[in-house]
Amino acid sequence: MNQPRILIFACKWCGLIGADAAGKKRASLPARFRVIPVECAALVEPDAILRALAGGIDGVAVLGCHSGGCRYNNANHASIKRFELLKDLLDTTGIGGERLLLSFGTAHEYHQFEEIIENFFNELAALPPLDPWLSPFGVVS
Amino acid sequence: MVVAVWSGKLIMLEKTKNIAKQILEEKKANGVLGLMKNQRDIVQPHVFKRLPELDALVLEPKWLLAKLSMSILRSSPEGYRLAVLCRGCDERALIELTKRNQIEKENLLTIGIACSQEQAAICLCDRPYPAKVDAGEIASGVDPFQDERVREFLIGNDKKRMEKWANVLKRCIKCYGCRNSCPICVCEPCKLEDDVWVQRGDVPAEMATFHLIRAFHLSDTCVACGACQEACPVNIPLLYLQLSMRKTLKEKYGYEAGLDPEKKSPILSDFLKEPETGREYPEWINSLREKDGH
Ligand code: SF4
Ligand code: SF4
Repeated sequence: MNQPRILIFACKWCGLIGADAAGKKRASLPARFRVIPVECAALVEPDAILRALAGGIDGVAVLGCHSGGCRYNNANHASIKRFELLKDLLDTTGIGGERLLLSFGTAHEYHQFEEIIENFFNELAALPPLDPWLSPFGVVS
Repeated sequence: MVVAVWSGKLIMLEKTKNIAKQILEEKKANGVLGLMKNQRDIVQPHVFKRLPELDALVLEPKWLLAKLSMSILRSSPEGYRLAVLCRGCDERALIELTKRNQIEKENLLTIGIACSQEQAAICLCDRPYPAKVDAGEIASGVDPFQDERVREFLIGNDKKRMEKWANVLKRCIKCYGCRNSCPICVCEPCKLEDDVWVQRGDVPAEMATFHLIRAFHLSDTCVACGACQEACPVNIPLLYLQLSMRKTLKEKYGYEAGLDPEKKSPILSDFLKEPETGREYPEWINSLREKDGH
């Protein structure tokens, strides 16, 4: 089976706590993911997601706080709109908006984190590989 | 029929010349930027300053003057006013540039020209006229999503389309023509020249970064002028990349780039507060719904 690679940007106030808890609980998770903690989901530039896809990542997840729970003036709400447009662009090119997973608020419990990542992993495994789009300048291993 | 089209074009040209003449006579602007046909029949942009020059004014081909207006105004002394002949896309580009503080609107005057139906069909333009039409008959807009060529690239099997796009994008010779010709692409420094984002010095350009970062940066500013696509020496349908994003902004947030000088892009604002029509939650926000009692 195709073993997708996942990059997770987790807001340190919600998503990261879930990821941490999942680790502590020794939850069984697909191996091929990496978590990058961010101060706020709004700090994740859409460009960074494109950069990751070019570098051989199969799917990117952005985990942020729930509505009204953002520590930074509801910055996550503006980012929702940006990500929605990015999904459109990914759909346009056939890469598929589903390679970008957004979850706002459901990842602060470890079992939710586990579930989200596992579902995402399975979904990505069913997608065609991104090969034609990969950077000729090296991908992550 | 042909005669009618021709005389229509002549009337439009005369009308434009008269407006330009009036502007120069009344000193409303220091110059009028438009297209000039020189003695060797070559058309080029020109700033008309004296009345006799206006004889050489032409309206075709389509040539975007927004970016040029910006550089002329930037390099001109204070108080310099420029009038610009502009089509719909050009006017919208000027408005976007003004919104982004690249042009001071006091220094700019526009002479709006409506495009012909024929031109609208070539451009797949859904709004082939400026808000202020001074010359020409308003033609009806074309829905790009009805066009077969567009549908091939935007609709249908993902895997096939992914390959289709990859095949056209790999023709790119990285001339940066798309970026340079785009009337709204004005940032300095540009991410497309930064190794962190796009590997420099190699062709073809990295596809997911070079092309998609460029396309995404124009998501809410693209006025669908098609300049990028026309500039591309290897015929990559770059305009098609923007269409879905433009559609979403229009349908979900009632926003179209370049229409209202006062309206800010919805992607800068809070999802919950504004704009009104944007209040619908995308399905993928799993928890917003419950939290807000929707
Ligand atoms: S159509 Fe191309 S050149 Fe015109 S505004 Fe959009 S991205 Fe820029
Ligand atoms: S204009 Fe065409 S060939 Fe030139 S950089 Fe843009 S996409 Fe590549």
